[in-house]
Amino acid sequence: MVKFLRYLQYEVFLLPILIIYTLFTIVPLIRSFELSLTDFNGYSTDYHFVGLKNYIKLFSDDAIVSGISFTLTFALCSTALITVLAIPLAILLDQNFFTKHIHRALFFFPSIPSGLLLAFIWGFILSPVASGVFNTILREVFGLGAQPWLSDPLLAKLSTIIVAVWAQTGWHAVLYLAFLQSIPKDYFEAAAIDGASRLQQIRYITLPLLAPAMTVSVMLLLTGGLKVFEIPFALTKGGPGFETHTITQVIVLRGISETQFGLASAMSVVFFLIVLVIACFQVTMMQKREERIQ
Amino acid sequence: MRKTGFLLLILIVAVSLALSACGNASNGGKQTGAGDQASGESGKQEKVKLSILAWNNETEMKPVMDGFMKKYPNISFDFQFAPPVKDYIAKLQTMLLSDSAPDIFIIAAENRNEVIDSGHALDLTDYPFMDVMLDSNKPMLSKNGRTYAFTNNGWVGGWFYNKDLFAKAGITKLPTTWDEFVEVCLKLKEAGITPLYDNMQDLTQIHSSLYGNMTLSKDPNFDEKIFSGEKTFADGWLEVFKLWKKDMIDKKIITPDMIGLTGDQIESEFTLGNVAMFFGGPWSIAKLSATPNLNFSMIPVPGPVPGETYYVGAPGVGFAVNSKTKHKEEALKFIEYLSTQEGLELFYQGTGSIMTAKGFEAKVHPSMQQAYEEGLMKGKIYLPMVSWPRHQEALRNQFVIVTQDMAVGKITPEEAVAAIDKKLKEMENK
Repeated sequence: MVKFLRYLQYEVFLLPILIIYTLFTIVPLIRSFELSLTDFNGYSTDYHFVGLKNYIKLFSDDAIVSGISFTLTFALCSTALITVLAIPLAILLDQNFFTKHIHRALFFFPSIPSGLLLAFIWGFILSPVASGVFNTILREVFGLGAQPWLSDPLLAKLSTIIVAVWAQTGWHAVLYLAFLQSIPKDYFEAAAIDGASRLQQIRYITLPLLAPAMTVSVMLLLTGGLKVFEIPFALTKGGPGFETHTITQVIVLRGISETQFGLASAMSVVFFLIVLVIACFQVTMMQKREERIQ
Repeated sequence: MRKTGFLLLILIVAVSLALSACGNASNGGKQTGAGDQASGESGKQEKVKLSILAWNNETEMKPVMDGFMKKYPNISFDFQFAPPVKDYIAKLQTMLLSDSAPDIFIIAAENRNEVIDSGHALDLTDYPFMDVMLDSNKPMLSKNGRTYAFTNNGWVGGWFYNKDLFAKAGITKLPTTWDEFVEVCLKLKEAGITPLYDNMQDLTQIHSSLYGNMTLSKDPNFDEKIFSGEKTFADGWLEVFKLWKKDMIDKKIITPDMIGLTGDQIESEFTLGNVAMFFGGPWSIAKLSATPNLNFSMIPVPGPVPGETYYVGAPGVGFAVNSKTKHKEEALKFIEYLSTQEGLELFYQGTGSIMTAKGFEAKVHPSMQQAYEEGLMKGKIYLPMVSWPRHQEALRNQFVIVTQDMAVGKITPEEAVAAIDKKLKEMENK
C-alpha cells in the first residue's frame, strides 16, 4: 500500500504532460481511426460510415506504393549514411584541439533552422539550370555540363538524401559525443599500456560502448526518416512524377488537395502501424545487440 | 515498474476516451450564438469588427479597407492573410470546420465546390451590387445559377519575352502560328539562348493554350462533356500532348531539367536575361518593370488552328460572406463597397489587379494590352481549374505528374491521358 502511494505521487507529477500528450497525440490518433472508416471530405461534417472501404482502396493506390518505396529508401539510406559519418565525426570532435568548440558549433548548426528553410536554400544551390550554384561550380572548376540535380529520377532521390545527411549528421555526432565523453578514460589508458593501437581502441572500446547511443540515434533517424516531409517537398515537390513523393506527402495530397480525408486517415493509420512495427523491431534488435556486446 | 506502466496506460485510455467523447459532443451540437441576439437589437452605431481572410496581403488590401472605414467609422477590420493557393485553402478549411471562419473570406476556383456545397457561403445572387460583376465572371463562383461570391477583377497571362534576346537571335517577326512559335524557339536555341522555361510544377501553360486552340475552339463545352461522361480526357487532350511532345520535348525546347525549377526561379532567370520567354501575368509586372534595362512585352502561344489564339486567364477570386456570420449586414456593406467606383479604384490601387467590373475603365500595363483586349475581354481565356466543375486539385496534381513523367520519357501521351481519365473515374467513385 505504501509502495502504491509512493507510485501515485509520481503519477501526479506526470499528469500535466500526460494531459497534453493525450490531447495532442492520442486523441487525434483515435479521431483519425474514426475518420478512416468514413467518407469525410474535410469540409462537411455530414459524413457516413463506409467500413473498411478506404483500407481496401489504399492498397491499389499507385502514389502510396511509390511513396512507400521512396520513403523506405530515404529512411534506410539516410540512417546508414548519417550513422557512418556521425561516429567518426564525434570521435574527431572529442579530440582536444584549439577550435574544438567552434567546430562542434559549426557541425551542430544545420540542425537548428527548419528543414523547410534549408531545403529551399539547397533548392537554389542544386537548381538544375546552368546558372544554379552547384552547376556553376561544376562548370567553372571542372568544366562539366549542367546536371539535372532535382529533375532526374535518380539524381533527385540522391540530392534529397544528401541534403538530409548534411542537415542531420552534426546533430547525431553531438549525440554520440555526449556518450563518448561518458566513457571512462581509464579504459583507454589500460588499453594503451597493453599496447593497443588507436584504431584497436576505437574498434574494441569506443564502438562497443557507443552501442546504447547507436540504439537511440538509429531509432530517431529511422522514425524521422519514415516521417520525412519537408526536405523532399521543398526540394522537388515530390517530382519528377511520383519519384520523390513520401508517404506523408501522399497523405497530405489525398487528404487536403483531393479532399479524401477518409482515405488519407486510413493511410495515416496504416503508416502509424508500419512505423510502430519498424521502430519496435529496431529497438529490440539493437538492445539485444547491446547486451551481446557488453 | 510494470504496475506503473499499467497505471499509465489506464490513465491514457481514460483521458483520451473522455476527450474524444467531448470532441464528438461539440461537433454534433448546434451553434447557439448569443451574439446573434446581441447584434440584431442594438443601435446603429454599435462598434463592429469584421474579420476577413484573404490571399491578398494586408498592404494590398489596406487602401480599400481604409476607404471603407472612413465611410463607416463604426466598422473596423480584423484582417488575416494566408498565401495562395494551398496554404490559404488549408487555413480556410480548418477555420470553417472548427466554426471559427471569418465574416468574409475569398472563394477561389480550387475550393469553390467544397465551400459552396457545404453551405458555408451566403447566396449573393439577388443583391443589387451583383449587377456590377461581369456575367462572364459569374460561372466560376456559382452553382445551379446562384452566385456565392463577388469579384471585380480578372487576370490574363501570356508569355513575356525579352526583346533584346529576340533581336540577338535575329527574330524580326513575332510568331502568329504554332509552327512559327516552334521556329522562333529553335532560332533562339541556335543562338545559344534558352528559348523558354515552363513551370512544370504546375499545369503547364502551353498545354492550356493548345487545348483552348485545338479542342475548345471546336467545342466550347468540351470540359462539361468530359465530366458528364460523354467525352474523355483522351478525346480532348491526346492530340495536345502529342503535339507538345513532338515539338517541345523531342526538339529539346523543353528539357527534363526544367522540372526542378520553381516559378520564382524562372522569373529570376528571365530578369537576369538567362531565358528568352516565360509565362507570367499581372503579378510579374512589378518585378519586371523594376529590373533595369529589361525590354519586355507579351505574346500568346498560338496553336495550330489559325485565328483561335487562347490566353491563360480566369476571373479573380471572389469575396464571400460566411453564412454563419454575426455581422451579415456589415459584411454585405463591405462587398457592396467593393463594387462602387471608389471601392474599385482603391482596390486597383492596392492590388494592381486587372479590374473587369461593368462601367469601370481598367488600366493595364502596355505589355499586357493585347492580352487584355484579345484575351480577357473577348473571353478567349482558359484555365482548367476554372473550367473543370469538380476535383480540380486532384486532376491538377495528376496533370503535373503525367507532364513530368512525359518530360523524362517515362510515359507516352497515350498513357498520360489514360492516367488522367483513371483519376477522374476514381474521384467520381470515391
